[in-house]
Amino acid sequence: MDDRIAIKVEGICKSYKATRALQDINLEIKSGELFGLIGPDGAGKTSLFRILTTLSLADSGKASVEGKDVVENYADIRRTIGYMPGHFALYQDLSVEENLKFYATVFGTSVEENYDTIKEIYSQIEMFKDRRARDLSGGMKQKLALCCALVHKPEVLFLDEPTTGVDAVSRREFWAMLARIKASGVTIFVSTPYMDEAGLCDRIALILNGKIIGQGSPEEIRSRYPYKIYAARGENMFNILKTLRPLDGVVQCSSFGCECHVSVSEDGPGEGELLSVLDAAGINGCTIEPIEAGIEDCFIGLS
Amino acid sequence: MIAMWKYLLKKEFKQYLRDPGMPRMTLMFPFLIILVFPFAANMEVRNIKLAMVDTDHSEQSGLLMEKCASSGYFEIVDVTASPEKAQEMMDRGKIDAILTINAGFARMLEGSVPAEDAIPLGIKVNTVNGTRGSIGSQYLNACISSYIMSKKGGSIPGSAQIEVRETYLFNRFQDYKLFMIPALIVIAITMMCGFLPALNIVSEKEKGTIEQMNVTPVNKFAFIVCKMIPYVAVAFFMVFSCLLLAKIVFGYGCAGSLLDISIFTLAHIIVMASFGLLVSNYSENAQQAMFIIWFFSMVFMLISGIFTPVDSMPGWAKLVSYANPLTYYADAMRGIVLKGSSLADTWVDLVCLLGIGGLTTTWAVLSYHKTN
Repeated sequence: MDDRIAIKVEGICKSYKATRALQDINLEIKSGELFGLIGPDGAGKTSLFRILTTLSLADSGKASVEGKDVVENYADIRRTIGYMPGHFALYQDLSVEENLKFYATVFGTSVEENYDTIKEIYSQIEMFKDRRARDLSGGMKQKLALCCALVHKPEVLFLDEPTTGVDAVSRREFWAMLARIKASGVTIFVSTPYMDEAGLCDRIALILNGKIIGQGSPEEIRSRYPYKIYAARGENMFNILKTLRPLDGVVQCSSFGCECHVSVSEDGPGEGELLSVLDAAGINGCTIEPIEAGIEDCFIGLS
Repeated sequence: MIAMWKYLLKKEFKQYLRDPGMPRMTLMFPFLIILVFPFAANMEVRNIKLAMVDTDHSEQSGLLMEKCASSGYFEIVDVTASPEKAQEMMDRGKIDAILTINAGFARMLEGSVPAEDAIPLGIKVNTVNGTRGSIGSQYLNACISSYIMSKKGGSIPGSAQIEVRETYLFNRFQDYKLFMIPALIVIAITMMCGFLPALNIVSEKEKGTIEQMNVTPVNKFAFIVCKMIPYVAVAFFMVFSCLLLAKIVFGYGCAGSLLDISIFTLAHIIVMASFGLLVSNYSENAQQAMFIIWFFSMVFMLISGIFTPVDSMPGWAKLVSYANPLTYYADAMRGIVLKGSSLADTWVDLVCLLGIGGLTTTWAVLSYHKTN
């Protein structure tokens, strides 16, 4: 990883009528980095991707990819990037092989020339090469889309929510593929609504309601979390939440799957105090243990 | 660059041929147009159902009846002495016309002048269907006058003084099928080139593939031209297979040059395709595009002179027809196919067609850039 800047975003704003989709976005993504844009649905992830991939224009601000301005040099950018949109957007009525050949040809190259780039992924779907794209399973479609985005050896790869709606095993596989693509020197900008995927990125930016609410490496963001955090487990989650939330010194208390994360300020209650409060409220058999803050805790804390 | 164009074209043709319905439709359309529609879109009036009310009961009235029956236009449904019964049949829609022969008809033919208030002959025609009614009454009039003329050997008061004989120069037997075939080709080309390219582009929009294309170096011009080429090919296939079928099945040749037909067809394809593109630029989905194009095609067809002559339309409709590409294409196609008109005769049509095409193309290109 060198220190060249691959993607630079300065003060980008974008509105759709009254909705302010992006407000003053500033980002710097280094060359060769795997950068994650993390935020819930409707946060503005796709809007930012569309601006960076030259599909739509920002209202104000500047952005560049590999030193090329997204407005002035849009034609050059299109040659240097690969883009995989959030929905499957290949030709459903063409076969796997035809789709791949088509995208290779429109970028002025051929599948053979860049076979090394896609070999690893393509080998997994090559046995279906004569099948129409519409007849592939979700995971296969995603692999094909990734192949098509990579077939012209892009310098920067944009992946808009590649793992949304994909099963857990395929997700893990997909991230392993990304790690290998990154190893070949491609800068990857990926967006995802899943906080647990943040740890797999080199650096991340958290986005909410069109604003970046934090950026840095996942460790940095976690270490910046200002509170002690405990995980409370018990049978009646709702009562635990209700009892702990109004306590003095409890900053934040929300449920995470089968546990409840309780953030406590420096001078707030400790482990034992929390347990005794729960006991006093008649909620027995709970366990409370200190944990490290996750990205999701940070996200909720920042929002 | 050339490889890219080639592959773009290949992709469009593959997609066209892989569509479950399109190739079959393309083959079926010419057959439908030539073998089915000319019979259905027929405006010839035959088999006018006629009832006779005969109160004269003379030899003359019998001969007049025979004359009408043998003309081929009428089907004598009933002969009765009661006007009320005939009227009831007309009210029930069983007959189109009543010919009443009153007492005194034979005597009038023999030379006696009928009394002021006595009318020896009456015609009553049902004009709920206007064309059928007016043409029916003309035929009936013609039958009667020719009968009276043959009997009296001269003119009679109240009927036509001058006999008009019509000779049709380019369609001698007034065969409506021959008249309609060029028009049906026009309709087919309009439908195909208006709808299909537009729906194709909108469907790429709907599926998001157009976005994937937009991030490639393929420019929009190449993308759209390659999209149009298969439809141009299909349109020409349709025009020529229609003409060939018309020749084989009905023996109608094309009087003009096929090159002229090709020039006009190409111009019309440009107009309709750019119009379709224009609509697709403003449509979010196939339904919207479909409805807008359908609406305009409908207006284009009705106010174009294909079914009813432009000259008989009111002033505002005439103005609309001047802005309608179909007016010019249909006029030229009829001219070329029926009369053998050359470009020297039809250049006004071509200039107007190209003018409209230039306008729609410019608008389509401008709006295409704006929406991105």
